[in-house]
Order: sequence, then structure tokens, then C-alpha cells
Amino acid sequence: MAAVQPKSVKHVPTYCYNCVSGPDFMSVKVVDGVATEIEPNFAAAEVHPAKGKVCVKAYGLVQKTYNPNRILTPMKRTNPKKGRNEDPGFVPISWDEALGLVAEKLNAVRAKGLVDEAGLPRVAVSLGHGGTPSNYMGTFPAFLAAWGPVDFSFGSGQGVKCVHSEHLYGEFWHRGFTVASDTPNARYVIAVGANVDVTGGPCAVIRHADARVRGYKRVQVEPSLTATGACSAEWVPIRPKTDPAFLFALIHVLMHENGLAKLDIPFLRDRTASPYLVAPDGLYLRDPQSGKPLVWDEVSAAAVPHDTAGARPAVAGAYRLSQAVVVDADKERREYRDVEGKTAYEMLLQHIAKYTPEWAETICDVKAETIRRIANEYLEAASIGETIEIDGKTLSLRPVAVTLGKSVNNGWGAYECCWARTVLAALVGALENPGGLVGTTVRLNKSRDNRHLSVKPGEDGFMVQYFNPTSKEEWQSTPSTRNLHQTLVPIVGHNGAWSQALGPTQLAWMFQGERPDDWSMPMPTLPDVWLVYRSNPSISFWDTRHLAEVAARFPFMACVAYTVDETNYMADVLLPEATDLESTQMIRMGGTKYMEQFWDYKGVVLRQKAVEPQGESRDFTWITTELAKRTGLLDPYFGAINKGISGVSPLKGEGYDFSLDPASEPASEQIWDAVCRAATVTLSEGREEHDLEWFRENGFFAVPMSRLEWYLTPTMEKLGLRYELPYQERLLRAGRELGRRLHEKKMNWWDEQLSEYTALPEWHDVPGRWIRNLEKSGAKIEDFPFWLLTTKSMQYHAGGNAAIEVMHEVAQNLRGHAGVIMNAKTAAGLGIAEGDRVEVRSHIGATYGKASLMQGIRPDTLVIIGQFDHWATPFAKTMDAPSLNTIAPMSLDLTDATGSGADIVRVGVRRVEGMAA
Amino acid sequence: MKRYVMSIDLRRCVGCQTCTAACKGANATPPGIQWRRVLDIETGEFPDVRRTFLPMACMHCANPPCEKVCPTRATTKRADGLVAIDYELCIGCANCVMACPYDARSIVHEAHYAYGDTPMASEAARFDPDRIGVSMKCTFCVDRIDLAALTGQIPGVDPEVTPACVNSCISGAMQFGDIEDPESNVSRLLAQTQHYRMHEELGTEPGVYYIWDQS
Repeated sequence: MAAVQPKSVKHVPTYCYNCVSGPDFMSVKVVDGVATEIEPNFAAAEVHPAKGKVCVKAYGLVQKTYNPNRILTPMKRTNPKKGRNEDPGFVPISWDEALGLVAEKLNAVRAKGLVDEAGLPRVAVSLGHGGTPSNYMGTFPAFLAAWGPVDFSFGSGQGVKCVHSEHLYGEFWHRGFTVASDTPNARYVIAVGANVDVTGGPCAVIRHADARVRGYKRVQVEPSLTATGACSAEWVPIRPKTDPAFLFALIHVLMHENGLAKLDIPFLRDRTASPYLVAPDGLYLRDPQSGKPLVWDEVSAAAVPHDTAGARPAVAGAYRLSQAVVVDADKERREYRDVEGKTAYEMLLQHIAKYTPEWAETICDVKAETIRRIANEYLEAASIGETIEIDGKTLSLRPVAVTLGKSVNNGWGAYECCWARTVLAALVGALENPGGLVGTTVRLNKSRDNRHLSVKPGEDGFMVQYFNPTSKEEWQSTPSTRNLHQTLVPIVGHNGAWSQALGPTQLAWMFQGERPDDWSMPMPTLPDVWLVYRSNPSISFWDTRHLAEVAARFPFMACVAYTVDETNYMADVLLPEATDLESTQMIRMGGTKYMEQFWDYKGVVLRQKAVEPQGESRDFTWITTELAKRTGLLDPYFGAINKGISGVSPLKGEGYDFSLDPASEPASEQIWDAVCRAATVTLSEGREEHDLEWFRENGFFAVPMSRLEWYLTPTMEKLGLRYELPYQERLLRAGRELGRRLHEKKMNWWDEQLSEYTALPEWHDVPGRWIRNLEKSGAKIEDFPFWLLTTKSMQYHAGGNAAIEVMHEVAQNLRGHAGVIMNAKTAAGLGIAEGDRVEVRSHIGATYGKASLMQGIRPDTLVIIGQFDHWATPFAKTMDAPSLNTIAPMSLDLTDATGSGADIVRVGVRRVEGMAA
Repeated sequence: MKRYVMSIDLRRCVGCQTCTAACKGANATPPGIQWRRVLDIETGEFPDVRRTFLPMACMHCANPPCEKVCPTRATTKRADGLVAIDYELCIGCANCVMACPYDARSIVHEAHYAYGDTPMASEAARFDPDRIGVSMKCTFCVDRIDLAALTGQIPGVDPEVTPACVNSCISGAMQFGDIEDPESNVSRLLAQTQHYRMHEELGTEPGVYYIWDQS
């Protein structure tokens, strides 16, 4: 070992929240002012579900800090031309000049008006990976709040390429913006494409490892044997995009081959809309006076409103009603006399009759006996009738769950899959009960830190849920954003940046090029100013080469940057960020959050400066305050900070006042000191107050929380509410209204999407949509015989660390990384050997990589891990790694009703010589 | 008598390479050198396929083949079970690299850095010229084990004196401790489970136990 003894050795506590599976704790070892190692922070072992540990990606943060390819001074573009083949000519400038350039453009916008002639915000902001930039951008959200209207709709893949339909429908049905199994109590999990041991972070990994040792069974249903499949008890290699058929058949086995008597009757009767009576026209039969949906009361043998005290609603059956009304789209009311009403359960029973395992086998290439066995194993493991005591309360224990992954819960077929797996939970009483299917948090409803608070009584006995209006009077016929989120997607709501980012963000890109022939709305404009942070849509979205060309047309782009990349190659100004180990911020931790972040504590954690920022890079909070100053927004900016935006709690409240005075222009340290104090006072209910110095030493502050907060059903019971399942009457009506509004404007281009608004989802030829899209472009299906999918690796989960050498090195230990995974027999038939360079070609382009031959993949499927194919990012561009994103199209045909697509495309593959063209 | 061993529970390992990266961080190994790595092994034929993750490093054998072939006695087995290399005695002949049936050793002849020819600050801070031209391998984080002897902390229990890989493992697959102490974590875990050691038939008496099922 080196003989020189260091003068100082520090272990600096901080967090990693670079991906949606965080936050996780870590400690930075700093030797004589140089960060040398990342380690767990075992001081947090008791409060953190992952025992104070971080995953492999965080161990690359030392390299991230000292990467010689970092941008370390502000830069401005000197080449006025923009494009992939136009060297930007970035030259170093001072911070004063850089901030001046950005502020000048922003001030010009304020002078002209924040919204342009098309009704669209002049300022657009793109942030990456699932909200995680918020954990690193300091007080920037407060600046955005102070600014006014911002267009967040130029996405980079978040939302539509994420678990999109799960986001929207999960939150709608059970306040599950993301949805997990209650793993610590689970006995049987069917994971359909959910690669949780790769994507779920340390919290998910330890939960599932413990469950494996405990003896639970996980069945992995996906076309290739991912790492999660490797750690599962059974692998079912399903044909891509046929998952709805598989799930429908499971429902069929439960309802038809087992029957209601074996299901959770009390749950269906009291917690779902199963007893609601449905008219022959498909709408709920309602009480003529109150308008409330009717149920058949077995006690009085009569139809009564659903919330009638003492009634015992029939779950199954058809009943004769002397009179009732239905309420259709646009509040159109029809009266019925002597009408038959079937319960929603009965409707489902009849609907699912045709979806037998034998039928499903022909669609998804999974044997009927396998489907049947899995359904029966699920039902048996559900242990209907069992209970568990949690914090003194007795709850139903239903230890089964069906989890979904990307390309299953986004794009066409995703509505069907999300609905089916939630129905599977409801049938056995596992929805939001211990052991079962649980949501994590909310993002379309408030309050984001406690989803229980968002459970409020709404119409028809369900939770309140804001739908963007589709009535004639209130429908947003002139879109307020470039992805038309409030115009096209009722269910995405209006919760600021989140609702925008969850709209159809690919449309924002697409409609800058071509719009449908029957477009009758204002032409979408380009934003005057585009700000980008931790986002690289020219790598992470679809049709990325073309997207980069669109980005090149934006008149002014500024990027808070790490290295040059494929998106900021088109920037006018680069502002170097003090990265993870070099800057300060406090965030919330605990409670229940994405993936499998289920804690027994809630609190706050500090990210702090472990080392001085490299070069001229600056803390994002400093950058933000400068921008606020130069745009005359200091007052509203600090006003927002004082309200708690960017921080944790309002800085002033009952018994405390740490509010900041804009006149004194508080520095970053003062801001975060105030945030620390306010956070601890509110969390401890006034008992403790801790400042920034305390947090630098201790790292975090936590208070215990009851595990009852993991489950929504007790809250639903307390409020007497039902889950809006299985029948989707509200969606049916919303779709009808939306259709009417669009047709009144002579627009039919969203008609295919309207077909998704069904009360009971049907199977439709989901894979066929991708084939028809290809054929519509003039291509022949015979030339593209394979399905190309993507999957993740834990080393590159969000791709933001593509420039980190050690990640590439350790990732090479995993088969197929940075290559093209294909079935060994298929490869042999094509004359492709292990390591051969191959071209993977779709009808829009080609990507290149080394063949990696495996047995653990369907013969008709290829997989490319991650998203690479870089051409500008240092180091990443030398990896010569392929990407699905380069060759998967953006297309209205491939967009579903909620606006999402999926990472799947038909391809051909052949061996080629030499490097990519 | 003391013998430090490691147990790795294959039911838990997800192949994430966190231990691979943590070891590189703790030991400042140069690019391309991994004292610990997780293998990704596939067996069977579609659709009956098995994929297994297998963390591998020096086994700290009780009968180490590397010790036998070392001409300078740079490699020795310690009383506590660790197989250690004295870099000052090593002449870089690579006999041990070839003798090890676990592919645990490597020799680096030139300094290499992650990004080109110039070390980053973190690389420069930890560069040790004594580690050029000598055989190197997993040491079971020997500095931490030696620290335990001074502080009285327990390797495998107290993180400061536990190998970095074991500390980092997010699935809880790795345990470390004294197998001669029946009350140690590792002894108790091995008593409750079924396990094997790799290439036992070669007579190496490896110090890493792979758990595959409960007893």
C-alpha cells in the first residue's frame, strides 16, 4: 500500500436518487479532499428498507465527479447551424455571460407574453427519468413556479415509455401511480414483464431475496429470461404483446372454472362495484330520484341505491327492475321501465366466457394447461379468509399479486393488462390488502406524500377523481400544451408538470413535423426557450435520429449539463452543474414511494457537498437564484420557497418561522438551512429542530410510521367507498364525450384511440398493430420477421450514467450487455455466431451490435439491453452499442388512448462486416 | 484457531455487480481488473433454461495451489485463513495466476486509467506503484481484518472490519465470519442450509461456501 498517510479521512453521508427506485443512503469516503469510494451508510440501516445500501450505479459516482469529459465551464455555441453533423463550436465563457444570455431570452419572453399566439407557453422545460431530476435541481422548481406557464410536453420517454397506463389507471383505480406486490407478505407473484430485481433498486431486491428464502413463488412471464426471470421459480416465455390474452384467461379460470363461491365475496360485494346493475345499453341503472347506481338487495328483493344501509347487494345475477334511469355522455338521461339489469360481476362473467386458456394458447404461445395451473395456484395461494394483525388492526391477508412491466403496461394492450391484473386482485380480495397488490403514491392527485389523503368520496360511491373536462362547455379545444394532454387524455388530470409529462409527449415531437390531415386546432409552435436538465431525448425516446433533427430547430436551448450529449449538441448555452457529490439539497424520504419503497419511517435526508465542485461547475440552487434575480422574479421565487416548493415543508407554520427574505438574497446554504429546520420541526411536531450543520453530521431525520399506511383498503372501508371495478362506466362515458367533442371539430384522427374506452376491455390484435404500422409504410412483414424488445440492466437503469467507464466494465459481466441478444438456434439458422457484428433493421432504420446467443429467449424475439447508440456523449459513443430507440417509430397508430407507446418493433437481423455505417 | 470464510447465498444473488463495483472502489483496481465479479451462467435449451448468477473471487483456500507454486513465498496462508500476497516479495512470474483453478489472480504490467492516459484525481490519489508487475487478487479486505484485531470489532458483524463486497451486497447474499466459531453469523447460516464449495475435488479446501437451499 502507499506509504503516505492521509491528513484527513471523512465519511460524508448523502443519498442517491438517480433512478426512480430511490432514495437510498450512501456514504462518500473523502481522503484529503478527494472522493475515493462510495460505501453504504449503515447509520440508516434501521430506517431504510435496504439497510443503508445503494446499488451498483452509485458506485460509479466517484468517476462521475472526476470524469475528464465533464463540462466544467459555462459554454456558448459559436456555430449558428445546428444538426448532428454540425459541430456546435462550444467555447468557454464566464458565468456572468452565460446567465446573461439565458436571462436575456427569458426576459424577451416576459416582454412578449408567456403564452404565444397558439396559446402555448413560450418556455419549454424537459426533465428526465421519472421525476428524479427534482432530487438534484435544488430550488429550480420554485423558479418554475414563479415563472408561470411552462410546457413540459417535449418528453424524453418518461410517462409514455414508462409504466404509463399503470400510472394513469393505477392511480385512478387504487391510488397506485406505481403498483407493487406486498412482497414481505406475498406467497405467489405473477410478474408479467416486470423486471423488478433489475429495476426495483436495493429496496425491491432485498424484499424479493427475503421472500425467496422464505419460500414464496414468483412466476416470470416474459419473452426473454431476464435477471428477474433467472431468480424466479418459473419462466413462461410468452409471445410479445399478447399479455392481455394470458391475463384474461386467468380471470376466466377463476370465474368460470372455479366460480364465485371460491372468490372473495365480501370484498366484491362491499369494496367493488361488482353489484352495480348494468342496463342492456351498457350504462349503470340508476335511481331516478338520486341518480345513484342501483344494486339488487337480497334482503328486500328489490333494486336500491348502492349505499342503502342494511342492504345486502347481490354480486352475481340478472334482475328485473320496474323503473330506472341511465345517464349517458353529456348528461343525456334515458328512462327505462321493466328493464333487466345484470350486475357488473355478471357482465364480467359473460364477457370473459370466451377467453379460455385454450383460446389464449393460440394467441400467446403459452400452453393452456400452464395458464390453468398458474390461475389455480394463484387462487389457492390467495388464502381467502385468512387474516393478519398489523399494528393492532385485523386485515385480510391475501398473499398474491400480478405485477406488470414496461411494454406490458404501456402502449396498446396496456389498458387491458392493467385492468385484468387489478380485477385479478379484486376477485380474491387482494387489492390494497396485506400480501396483495398495493399502490405506492399519487402524482395526478394531491397529496403526493400521503396517498390516503387523496381518498375522498366522489360520485357513485367511488373516490373523487379529476378528469379533464370533456363537456361541450369546458373541453379544452385549444390545447394549452404541445402534447395536447388536457385536450386528448381526460384521465391525466391537471396536476401541473406531472399531468403534462404524463400526456402523449411523443405527439409534441411528432406534430412539429406533420399533423393529421383533419387537424383543426392552432398549429403548434416551437418554444422560444427550451431548458433541458438530466434529459437526453435524442437517445431515450423513439425515432431518435429524427428527434434530434427536430431539436435542432428549436430557436434557443440552454442545458444544465454534465457532458456534451446528443440533445445538448443542439444547445446555445451549457451551464455546468455541480453534480451529485458536489452540491446540497434536502428531500423527503420514507412513507411509500415508487417501485418497492415501503418504509416503516418517514423523514428527510440531506445530499451534501462531499467535495468541492470541479472546475467552474456550480450548485443548481445558485444557478436558479441567479436566474431569478436576472429575470426580476426574486420575490415570487422566494415566495415559492417559503411556501415549501423545492423543499419539504412550508418555511413558516404554526409555532415556527424560518421564512426567507428576498431582499437579503439568501445564499444556497441559508435556503437549505431553513428547509432543514422547517422539515424537522414539522416532522417532529415541534419537538425537535435541526439545522444544516446537524444534517451534515447525521445525514437524515426519521420518525416512525405505521405499516397500516401501506394498504388503502382500510381507508376505503372507513370512508365506505368502493373501487371502481370491474366495470368502467365512467371511462365509457368519457370516451363518448371526447369523441363527440373531436368530431364536432371535424377531427377523426384520434378515433382509433377512442376504441380503448370500453367498460370491459376486449382482446384486439395488439401485436397486429405493429405489423400494420409497418405495412402502412410500404414495408413487407417478411423482411421483418422478429420482435425487438428492450430490457434494463441495473448498471444502466436510467442511462444517465452512460459516460461512466466503470459501469460499462462491470456490466460486461452480464450476458448480452451492449449487444443484440438472440436465440442460439435462430442465430445458427441465419449463420450468425457469438460475437458476430449484426445489423438490426426496422422499417425506419438500423442499429448495430454484437450478437449474444442465448437459450433464454424466444426464437422469434431479439433483445437489446438499455438505450445506447450514442454519437456525441464521450465514452458512450465509443461503446458501439445498439439501441431499440434508434429504430422504433413514433406513430399515431402505435399510440393508445392514454397517449403511450411501447418499446417494441418488428425487425430483420443479419450478419454484417466491420463498423456501423 | 480462527478461519475467516465467506458464504454466498445463490438464492439471493441477482447478478447486479454491486459487489464487483464496490470491490473496485474499495481496492482501487485499474480498468479491466475485477478481484470480484459475478458470472452469468446459462444452462439448458429453450424453453427449459436456467440462468444462474455466481459471485467469484479468491477462495482463500486452506490448501492453496497458488502458495505451492510461488517461488519467493510472496503468497502465504495466514493463521486466520486469509491467503495473502506480499507485493515486496512478488516477482510477477505468474505461476500463481496459472495455478489458481478459480481464475482469481491477475497481474497488471502498466498503469491504466479509466479515461485515457491521465489519471483522474481519484485514481491519482490511490495509485500505488508497488502494485504494478505483481500478482494481485481479492484480499478479503485484509486491512479491515487487521483493524479488527486492534479494535476488537468483529468481521462480518461490524461494517468497518467487514469486506467491502459483503457490506455492499443489496440482496443480503453475502456473509462473512469465523467458521471456527459456531456462534458466528456464517456458522449459524451454514448449519441451517445446504451448501457446496467450488472445485472441492481438487483438494483446495476453499473458504467460500455457496448456499443453494435450506436444510
